[in-house]
Amino acid sequence: MEKQPDKRTVDMRLISDWIDPDSSVLDLGCGPGTLLEYLIQTKSVFGVGVDWDMDKVCSCIQRGVPAFQGDLSELMKTFPDKFFDCVICSRTLQELSSPAAVLLEALRLADTVAVGFVNYGYWKNRLHHLFSGSRTVGEVTPYEWHQGRPTHEISIADFESFCSRHEITVTRRVYLRGDWETPCGYFQNLLCGYALFELTQ
Amino acid sequence: MSDADENPLLTGPGEVGLVRYGDFDFEKPFTFEDGQTIPRFRLRYETYGTLNESRDNAILICHALSGDHHCAGIHSVRDRKPGWWNNMIGPGKPIDTNRFFVICSNCLGGCQGSTGPESINPETGKPYNLDFPFVTIGDMVRAQKLLIDHLDIPELYAVAGGSMGGMQVLQWAIEYPSFVKRIVPLATTSRQGAQSIAFNEVGRQAIIQDPEWKGGNYEAEAGPRVGLTIARMMAHITYLSDKGMERKFGRRRRDSGEINFSFDVDFEVERYLRYQGQSFINRFDANTYLYFTRALDYFDLPATYGSLEDAFRDVRARVLVVGFTSDWLFPPEQNREIVQALLRQRKHATYAEVPMDFGHDSFLVDAPNLYRLIVAFLWEK
Repeated sequence: MEKQPDKRTVDMRLISDWIDPDSSVLDLGCGPGTLLEYLIQTKSVFGVGVDWDMDKVCSCIQRGVPAFQGDLSELMKTFPDKFFDCVICSRTLQELSSPAAVLLEALRLADTVAVGFVNYGYWKNRLHHLFSGSRTVGEVTPYEWHQGRPTHEISIADFESFCSRHEITVTRRVYLRGDWETPCGYFQNLLCGYALFELTQ
Repeated sequence: MSDADENPLLTGPGEVGLVRYGDFDFEKPFTFEDGQTIPRFRLRYETYGTLNESRDNAILICHALSGDHHCAGIHSVRDRKPGWWNNMIGPGKPIDTNRFFVICSNCLGGCQGSTGPESINPETGKPYNLDFPFVTIGDMVRAQKLLIDHLDIPELYAVAGGSMGGMQVLQWAIEYPSFVKRIVPLATTSRQGAQSIAFNEVGRQAIIQDPEWKGGNYEAEAGPRVGLTIARMMAHITYLSDKGMERKFGRRRRDSGEINFSFDVDFEVERYLRYQGQSFINRFDANTYLYFTRALDYFDLPATYGSLEDAFRDVRARVLVVGFTSDWLFPPEQNREIVQALLRQRKHATYAEVPMDFGHDSFLVDAPNLYRLIVAFLWEK
């Protein structure tokens, strides 16, 4: 598998283009807070992250990023409709126990929802499946089936069909090739390694 | 070898060592929220570390119900027990006295040197006892502000404290928004709930029903010792947790032997509670216990300010709230609510939850995760 550029750099570059200055942003599964730190510094956003992990929250504190340690669904419930301009859900969706509910809740909370995920329809995964008959384990999905947290692999085709079923409008799409840098202009579900969607409802 | 040579609390690494208290005498009338006025008051306080030239490195510590101004170091070379937050405060410790100037005062209404019910009422020459005004968390904080002004400190780098201290911390950020840069409320609540009021009421009744209480007019050396002991024993249970007590005491017997078939101390946990009760009556005034538990009961930010969001409207401090998983007195949920309301006001607020078995008292014990959070917060960009 190709060497992946730092995941947060990819999101930082792309998602920050979608964020207006001085807007307010909720980052679901914010990790160490690098994206929010960048948005706070470059766009003066009001940003808050939510993550289960104390190490991650501690890292957010060090970066001066407000964070909430706990269950993201529980936190989301405590905000009124359209409280945020944008909810970011970057490489978080695959680990949620009820991703549909979270996406719909995110659309309640914000005008736009930015979703980024690793495309499981990527051709190398397909070849790997075909020839080895086993799940892909590599740099992007590092855990064996018996390790790590439960993961729902998402493909672009599956995500698109989810959006149309729930009448979610996709306002922007960014497809990157396996190097997570080069734009991917065709056969995205086959050739795209990382996809970013902007949703509204 | 002298005691001083042996005492690791004196010169050990991370220790503030010998400390002395100071007294701040406010010589003007002070009116409490209940409308009553006292002609003057004293706050006893301690400081550790050095106030820097720009006077912007001061951290105020607020103590809990049974705490006092002595939160670090020792008073005598023979002291075996340091101040109540000695694990947190000192050179190189999370609240680092090499960098910060740390202040802690005994709350107004207290019994460790600050003016409280057992102080002499200058108008009568006798102790105030129940003539002392009802003290609220807001009164405590206003008195502390007068101390901070007296020390000529123009802003507080941070205000930190747990439980009743956490309430004061919140009050500081609400009442003096431009004065307070950061707050760290721990194991606390924005509104004393029914269960906590209920426990306080049982403690108060134990004191009030003790014939030695005498309507609050007991002699300094006497007083409702039985009532205060029972109040403390019961309250102490609420500071621990089922799991923590099971691990610390289990069913261990005092003499590790047979059941005695008596009502004397059979179990280790009984011995511990009796010890806690006994040592408490030697250092705490029963009337202060009544007043402080009432201050807790009356604490209700949503009611005082219309809603919790309204209470936090003007807050400018950065906030780190920490809850503890096994705290059932001020459970994580009540700590989360504080941060959720702050976030709804678009304030810079963080919530962290430390998994520990020590119940409400978790914030007082050796807790590397809590240290990590506090260090990150005090050193953040």
